[in-house]
Amino acid sequence: METITEVLQLFLAPENFLAIAVGVIVGVTVGSIPGLTATMAVALALPFTFSMEPVAAILLLIGIYKGGMYGGSITAILIRTPGSPASACTLLDGYPMAQQGEAKKALKMALYSSVIADFISNIALIFFAAYLAKIALNFGAPEFFWLICFSLTIIISLASGSMIKGLIAALLGILLSLVGLDSVFGSQRLTFGNYNLMDSISFIPLLIGLFAIPEIIEFYRKKVVPHLRAKASGAGISFSELKGSLTSIIRGSLIGVMIGAIPGTGATAAAFISYSDAKRRSPHPERFGKGEVEGVAASEAGNNGVAGATLIPLLSLGIPGDVITAIILGAFMVHGLTPGPIMFQENLPLIYALFLGIMMSSVILLFVGNAAIRYFSLIAEIPKSILFPIVLMFCVYGAYAVNNNTFDVWLMLAFGVMGYVFNRTGIPTAPFLIGFILGPMFEDNLRRSLLIGSNDLSVFVRGPITWFFIALTVGSISLALYRFISSRNKAKQSANETKAGV
Amino acid sequence: MNKLLNVLGIATCGGAIALSLSVSSAQAQEWPTDDVRLVVPYAPGGTTDVLSRSVADLLQDELDTNVVVENRPGAGSTVATGRLARGGRGNDHTILMASPGHTIGAAIYPNLAYDPVEDFVFIQNMIDIPNVMVVPADSPYDNVSEFVEAAKEENMTFSHSGVGSSIHMSGELFKTLTETNMTAVPFSGSGAALPALLGGDVDVSFENMPTVYSHIQSGDLKALAVTSAERSEYLPDVPTLNEIGEYNLDQFTTTAWFGLIANETFPEEAVVVMQEALQEVMEREEFTDFVDQLGAQKGTLAGDEFKAFIADEVARWDEVAAEAGIRQE
Repeated sequence: METITEVLQLFLAPENFLAIAVGVIVGVTVGSIPGLTATMAVALALPFTFSMEPVAAILLLIGIYKGGMYGGSITAILIRTPGSPASACTLLDGYPMAQQGEAKKALKMALYSSVIADFISNIALIFFAAYLAKIALNFGAPEFFWLICFSLTIIISLASGSMIKGLIAALLGILLSLVGLDSVFGSQRLTFGNYNLMDSISFIPLLIGLFAIPEIIEFYRKKVVPHLRAKASGAGISFSELKGSLTSIIRGSLIGVMIGAIPGTGATAAAFISYSDAKRRSPHPERFGKGEVEGVAASEAGNNGVAGATLIPLLSLGIPGDVITAIILGAFMVHGLTPGPIMFQENLPLIYALFLGIMMSSVILLFVGNAAIRYFSLIAEIPKSILFPIVLMFCVYGAYAVNNNTFDVWLMLAFGVMGYVFNRTGIPTAPFLIGFILGPMFEDNLRRSLLIGSNDLSVFVRGPITWFFIALTVGSISLALYRFISSRNKAKQSANETKAGV
Repeated sequence: MNKLLNVLGIATCGGAIALSLSVSSAQAQEWPTDDVRLVVPYAPGGTTDVLSRSVADLLQDELDTNVVVENRPGAGSTVATGRLARGGRGNDHTILMASPGHTIGAAIYPNLAYDPVEDFVFIQNMIDIPNVMVVPADSPYDNVSEFVEAAKEENMTFSHSGVGSSIHMSGELFKTLTETNMTAVPFSGSGAALPALLGGDVDVSFENMPTVYSHIQSGDLKALAVTSAERSEYLPDVPTLNEIGEYNLDQFTTTAWFGLIANETFPEEAVVVMQEALQEVMEREEFTDFVDQLGAQKGTLAGDEFKAFIADEVARWDEVAAEAGIRQE
């Protein structure tokens, strides 16, 4: 009873509510601006939290984190420029929807899906933190390696159309991810002596270039001035549409939770894995990438599912899973709190107050998001001849702002040309991004496993988690092969029938 | 009243973030005339990062200007340091939180485009932290001698936070001095390295004290030794490596130092302003609390003394890198 009073006392302070609200608003705003990420906003807000009460301080940072996770999807959907890396996947279907006059529907779906995923992720944090943290600790390099193998097999489904083109894209992504310094020996790879490439290719300029620039080139390349009548931003989303995507949202949230609970994977990978999973299970996978609302739902569920779950290793083990939680760890330490098992013994009321605040943040995100959609969706109605020059400006600014480096602007433009060539030749961008994101994780964990096991390959089959993911990987490949062979047989059969008919 | 202040604080915070993202502060007469940029040459979450953010917060009170922390990880710390050395626009307001990576980087990459001693001004050493030799709680080794004897027989693995980190080099130094079999396993940052140690995937690590202190207290890790010359007051029962008295470990003394440096063109006037402001920062109660929290000690070196210390460190790591064969040609 005493604990409950103490928890409520800690939680019901008015500054907590203000902190969450300010945090979510700042997060959504910053997240929606290309080049300004939630990470930067959290880092900038950190010093302000030093003088605040611990609960309000942490909630402010968490609010920014969650707001930013959603905010990135706004510009991804409206102008094909992902506000943050994790929303790159959302634009695959979000932008086609906006083009078809359904911007509002895409934005609403992204919001509801984000909020639901966020909620599920919070539940996982509050009730299963200790259990999930234990699994996370058993997740060493070999387990990680198989998880990534499995993810790569799911992603086969992203290569819609030509398998060869999909492979070209994925391998090109892996090739570009090799640029930088070798993680084991520190030697330079593919940097051509260029200082700017030692840090590897920055992800945000790559994303902006790859997606936003080709649209702009395409627009100005067409000699005929396109019809300037502005399209309406369309209606919101109906309950039955939301219900139709609910399975994908829940699956995506759970994928996000699993990935978030393991330190070092990140929301971008979760979004792509959730998206591919939804596509693979959909009765009409061919609609994905052309404006399928379920695609938006799945990718947003994936990246928001990560948000609450990354706090699991942080609170229960004191291990930051990504950059943002590392900064939040700093905030805890400044207030004399050390996240980890000891905090659960010594500061239990504080942790419960935090949990309440985190649940609260999902609700506030719903309101702030709805208000943001009302105004942001007007962007869809701006004529492109006015909108695109502004987008181009944001592209240049966004690429520059990440590292304050002009080299990144050139990089962004180069990727813009590459994206344009991709579009013209029908090479898909999704496998390229997957290669770029998962390639380094694959390599690092493979090499780490070999080092840990002293080059003994048995380290790759060392326990139930590895067996589990090996089984999934083999199953996933078999399924893909089966589908490939049976579709080829069908094609042969129908070809034979046509011949017989002649 | 306190609550009201808090409320106001949060409200202004939102506005201030928006402002600092877009507009730099108004021009003033003396240095600083602009926001000060504090470059952290490592990923967020490590000691350098947490320290820098704490210093930045206190420093902006003293300097009356924004101190913006920027993370630029890569190649030990040489990517960010190289950028600082090459200079360019705005370097008269850029400072960098240097750490052992600064001197180690110079040892590992002999063809760096900068001189780790002559191309910089050394403003102030902020703190010194010992590294701790830690093993998982269920490790069969209870002291350094047992560990070394075992490592002479079989291969041991040690985790580190990136090539050229003090954690990595401490491991290499230990391996060289004790003539044991050890393999380095790289992770990107201490945050990623810790689970491998806690989960028992690696045998040992020479982690910074603040990263592992709470895990030592909770019993998840066993501390075998500290790497500083004196025992740490935070772990008074844990011996120093010098105390072991065999396996050449009397030569093993390292502390992770953290100090602010700038490009050699950094205005002299600014060095003076900075040193005065940092003295104030180091006397603040918040800083003292922070140092205690880390299990660290306040730094004492500044200016030329700090520079001389750096020169010694460069020479010493040069030797280790050569002996350990981790020099990149």
